[in-house]
Amino acid sequence: MFLKDAFAISPQKTFNSTFEEGDFVVHESKTFKVIDADYAEFIPPSLLRRMGKAVKMGIGAALPLMKRNAKTDGIIIGTANGGLENCINFLNQIVDYNEGMLTPTHFVQSTPNALAGQLALMYDNPGYNVTHVNGSLSFENALVDAELFFSEQENPSSLIVGAVEEISDYNYNIDLQAGRYKKEQLSNQDLLNSSTDGSVCGEGASMFIVASSPEDAYAEICAVEQLTYPSEHELSERIASLLAKNELNVEDVDALVLGKSGDGRYDGWYDHVTQLFPNAEFTYYKNFVGEYRTSSAFGLYLASELVRNKLVNHPELMGNISKQPKTVLLYNQFDGVRHGLILLKRLV
Amino acid sequence: MTREEVIVEFKNHLIQYLNLLDTTPEQINNEEPLFGGDLGLDSIDSVELIVLLDREYGIKIKNPTEGRQILVDVNTIVDYIIANRTK
Repeated sequence: MFLKDAFAISPQKTFNSTFEEGDFVVHESKTFKVIDADYAEFIPPSLLRRMGKAVKMGIGAALPLMKRNAKTDGIIIGTANGGLENCINFLNQIVDYNEGMLTPTHFVQSTPNALAGQLALMYDNPGYNVTHVNGSLSFENALVDAELFFSEQENPSSLIVGAVEEISDYNYNIDLQAGRYKKEQLSNQDLLNSSTDGSVCGEGASMFIVASSPEDAYAEICAVEQLTYPSEHELSERIASLLAKNELNVEDVDALVLGKSGDGRYDGWYDHVTQLFPNAEFTYYKNFVGEYRTSSAFGLYLASELVRNKLVNHPELMGNISKQPKTVLLYNQFDGVRHGLILLKRLV
Repeated sequence: MTREEVIVEFKNHLIQYLNLLDTTPEQINNEEPLFGGDLGLDSIDSVELIVLLDREYGIKIKNPTEGRQILVDVNTIVDYIIANRTK
């Protein structure tokens, strides 16, 4: 599976060129919220007024790709929670109006597949249209589905694959009670130095054009792996097997993109993976976008931009990576339970 | 409430329920068709309008034929509200 293009709406200004030029947005709050593009520029007002945040972000990330690439054969989205705020509004209406007549908009926007459906309608794309809702492995599931889709096609084909997650006040409070987010307020500049429990809640949408053939592609997604409840030993074994399947040695991986989140309970996983690759340079991304269940999609966006050599002017995002990497391993975990690995190789 | 006051109140509800971004009550013409006009409302909005009338004015529109005659423009809706409101 080959990567042809990438775009993101995130808590950084990824929607314009200032991001590549080194613009780093400092967040000092308990949530890292997206910096929105001017959606009214490219979404008709009649559609925009109904869209929830997740749908707006997703379309804001996908439309630039749709405009500058040929029509794809389908759309695959991964999201853990979809349009959560609309979902909560809809459920509250059921209570507030005593299970009486309800308005349709909140319901329509609350379903996780609202984004993929809206994209298909806006760009007249009647092809394969699937949304994967599987917690913190939703994006990895979407990528695996894309691989399976391509394996069934006789002709070269392409897809939009992406992920979206929005912050909802209601769900933020639930996750805060569950200990997923820090009680103290931190700047994103200090997040990765923290070792207290929890991370900082983030959100965003990252979209990709993937294809079955390498034509016009700049990278290959060589492998997507998922593990649930592994031990450190099992994780090491899976990484070794992933490398072996791709005829790579540990030394061949020259960069790691890691989902370290400043959560003292689980950041040891990233240290463990870093130790497996003593010669690899590495960088982190959750200090830019926060923690959310499909944040690995932003990790892939970052890896993609590193491979395209677009971040040379952005020292914060480069981490200790000193050169355009050839082979990048992206590793992310959530709650120490669900672990995802994506191997990316530069083509040109 | 005078008819003018009901018109202003209804337009504010309309903007709120349909999330008509950047639209003010003054910009909505009383005679302008709600569907097929500049406001660009569609079938989902007609359901939102029916819910609006139920929640804000206690009016239940159950007959689709009747609904088509009421949900024409601001004037027809306000006339119906004044004649049939229960709250």
